[in-house]
Amino acid sequence: MKLSIGNFYVKDVVFGEADSFKDGILTINKQAAIDYLMGEDEHITSLDIVIARPGDDTRIVPVIETIEPRCRMDGRTLFPGVTGDLAPCGDGELKAFKGCCVTVVGGTWGSFGDGVIDMGGEGAKHTYWSKLINICMVGETDEEDERHEQQKTNHALRWGGHRFAEYLGKIAKDLEPEETEEYVFDPVLKRSPERAGLPNVAIVLQPQSQMETLGYNDLIYGWDMNRYIPSFVSPTEVLDGMMISGSFMPASSKWSTYEFQNFPTIKELFAEDGKSLNFVGVIMSNLNVALDQKERSAIMVRNIALNLGVDYCIVTEEGYGNPDADYVRCQVILEDAGIPVVGISNECTGRDGKSQPLVTLDEKLVALVSSGNVSELSELPACKTVIGCLEAMNRDGMSGSWGYDEILGKSARDDGSIIMEDNNWFCGDHISGFSVKTMVEM
Amino acid sequence: MVKEVERAGFPIVQMCNLIPVATTVGANRMVPTISIPYPLGDPNTPKDVQWKLRYHRVGVALDALATDITEQTVFKVKI
Amino acid sequence: MKNVILYLNQFFGGVGGEDKADQEPYIVEGAIGPGLAFNAALKDAQITHTVVCGDNFMGSNTDEAVRRIMEMLKDKPMDFFIAGPAFQAGRYTVACGNICKAVMEQLGVPAVTSMNEETPGVNMFKKDMIIFKGGNSAAKMRKDVGTICKYVNKVLAGEPTGGADAEGYFPRGIRHELFLEDKRENTAAYRGVQMLIKKMNKLPYQTELVIPKKDVVPIAPAVKDLSKAVIAMLNTGGIVPVDNPDRIQSASATRWGRYDISKMDRLAKGEFKTIHAGFDPAAANEDPNVIMPIDAMRAYEKEGKIGRLHPWFYTTVGTGTTEAEASRMAKEIIPFLQEDHVDAVIMIST
Repeated sequence: MKLSIGNFYVKDVVFGEADSFKDGILTINKQAAIDYLMGEDEHITSLDIVIARPGDDTRIVPVIETIEPRCRMDGRTLFPGVTGDLAPCGDGELKAFKGCCVTVVGGTWGSFGDGVIDMGGEGAKHTYWSKLINICMVGETDEEDERHEQQKTNHALRWGGHRFAEYLGKIAKDLEPEETEEYVFDPVLKRSPERAGLPNVAIVLQPQSQMETLGYNDLIYGWDMNRYIPSFVSPTEVLDGMMISGSFMPASSKWSTYEFQNFPTIKELFAEDGKSLNFVGVIMSNLNVALDQKERSAIMVRNIALNLGVDYCIVTEEGYGNPDADYVRCQVILEDAGIPVVGISNECTGRDGKSQPLVTLDEKLVALVSSGNVSELSELPACKTVIGCLEAMNRDGMSGSWGYDEILGKSARDDGSIIMEDNNWFCGDHISGFSVKTMVEM
Repeated sequence: MVKEVERAGFPIVQMCNLIPVATTVGANRMVPTISIPYPLGDPNTPKDVQWKLRYHRVGVALDALATDITEQTVFKVKI
Repeated sequence: MKNVILYLNQFFGGVGGEDKADQEPYIVEGAIGPGLAFNAALKDAQITHTVVCGDNFMGSNTDEAVRRIMEMLKDKPMDFFIAGPAFQAGRYTVACGNICKAVMEQLGVPAVTSMNEETPGVNMFKKDMIIFKGGNSAAKMRKDVGTICKYVNKVLAGEPTGGADAEGYFPRGIRHELFLEDKRENTAAYRGVQMLIKKMNKLPYQTELVIPKKDVVPIAPAVKDLSKAVIAMLNTGGIVPVDNPDRIQSASATRWGRYDISKMDRLAKGEFKTIHAGFDPAAANEDPNVIMPIDAMRAYEKEGKIGRLHPWFYTTVGTGTTEAEASRMAKEIIPFLQEDHVDAVIMIST
């Protein structure tokens, strides 16, 4: 497979008469976009599009999703099984707008998996999104059944966001890209003989699939990953819209769709492919709750790796808490099979830093990267602008925010300042690989 | 708590659902339960089915207390 | 100019050697002995007073020694307290740990010390305070004083510190986040792939999370004759009488209760319930025996599989409860088990 992504670097996003991209300026006809999105889904009852730029004194909450605007050149939909018909991913040409993202925001109502993005000030460093121009899609829906539920599928807004990313991506369709990223992934059995001496490396991805009711979990080709068992896929499929993110995972441990599209650890493996290693591919697992399902996925990952002839693995989990059991088990089962592993995840050490960092431990885990701490407390001043609804932090059971605490009070104070746990930063621990945080003994 | 009780010399068996957590913490004798909200009796099943399961697993736990072990052991249940 | 007070043993305090180890504590103004080296290395801070105490006096009369020293210190302006460096002198390291702990707890002043890893003070106190990794003899004085002062100077100047490895002290079991410089080489993706490459080539690498050796408890011997055994039941699933008389908290519990079942064959719905906040309580409220299986235990008692059931069951709540509180509660429950000659225990957790 060969995936070519033609990149356009967006310097600013403005509203205008017609959609266009010229000299780095992406112009969007706001009303036309709103009409299109609301026209595609009657469940969206109101929509606004607001631009937030790096450095703005702006807080965005509740953030539901981030997606990179792109389009496929061959007419295939951007996210097969989600935004359009099923079709293979992993091969072909894409155009992408870099330096920006579609940010799906709840106009009023938040849920457990939603998060916060600060575009400027002290809070900016807590997420990668403060570096991008956030094209915020702020919406209300008629999804009454889940209006007051802590867990929301946020179906209308999420699907709307993924459609919006493709709608915007199409603005680049007939333009010449500034540069092209190319990912060549040859069939495993037909690689160049020069690679024979290189160690065979696979990456095991464990996307979130905790909810037993459908509609909240990550999707693979539109299929709920709770009803999935491990398989072998190409890294180019991951980069090319095979996966979309879900709505359940506590925000800082989440892999947003944008992160699947740009999965940094996969890109780093590609950078070494053919040089220090032979990148065999992606063993795609999941993160179900029941013990036998965890064990089944671990066994299948192990056997796929053994049968392909994988020598080394990176294992990475989209989660903390009981998913740590899968993260640890998968590494142990691979090590026991003679396949040394490096693990990449975050930790949860409690506000005092003294709690056990992962829910299960095993002394066989000797090579771990820690991308952040779910439990750190952040206290930040008010922002001049709030996109979305600050009160969601107090009212809606968002992970890492609360409405009442004897000592700390509520998370979103009346003056707009906030106190919350790292848990609530949108994809804050960037386990996908963007994180420049580590954990140290203090 | 299980460790403190065992340190005081009492053989103790931990019945719980997330066995890997108990193993990590360092429990020596463990018997699995069927879930977190209802460890020993699924309310979606008839009372007599619940009773059979509870009676069986508690019995395994008692036998575990009377079994010599040399390392952390998860005792198997039949129902 | 910030105020620092130094603690020394009889040898470094210039009183004498082993023969003077019973020296009772006293305080002098200014710096003596190693205090001079500290003064040279501290920035905008001076040793205002020095406490001297014999290692044997502190070791054999710890409470009294600490009490007297707190009396001496309580009226002195103090921004930082330093004990040692104690190198590899066993009793001195324990003395340093004790006095630093007291200063922090009773006077609320930050206190640090330094000792070699091969001393008892390290394991006894490393979780409670910053203990710098020290040399094995007084020949390392300048180095150890330097390490301590580099850290103390940062703290007194309000600068951030870099963690156990960077500052040179023993890990305390406290892990926090650290932001690295924002560049590709510091991304988790790059770090992960580079760590793998090193591992593949058998080159040294540093894991970012060291998994500690498991703290296993020696296996208690099996019950010899179950048919004569007294069995007690414990649970962390929050099963309590419906009025929760012991006011056990639904999360982060610090209280436990014990409930008389001597006249019961099972737990009755409406008499018992669960107060655990971490799961749907419906099943347990409908039938508390699904968490606390008194009915099964009575059946086994009647059959003669066990000798008898201990007449109380013990309850607390497991969610959010700290290890420290759980440990304390267990220690409070144990005497009741011993009193009734309980032979073995079943713990049900949710």
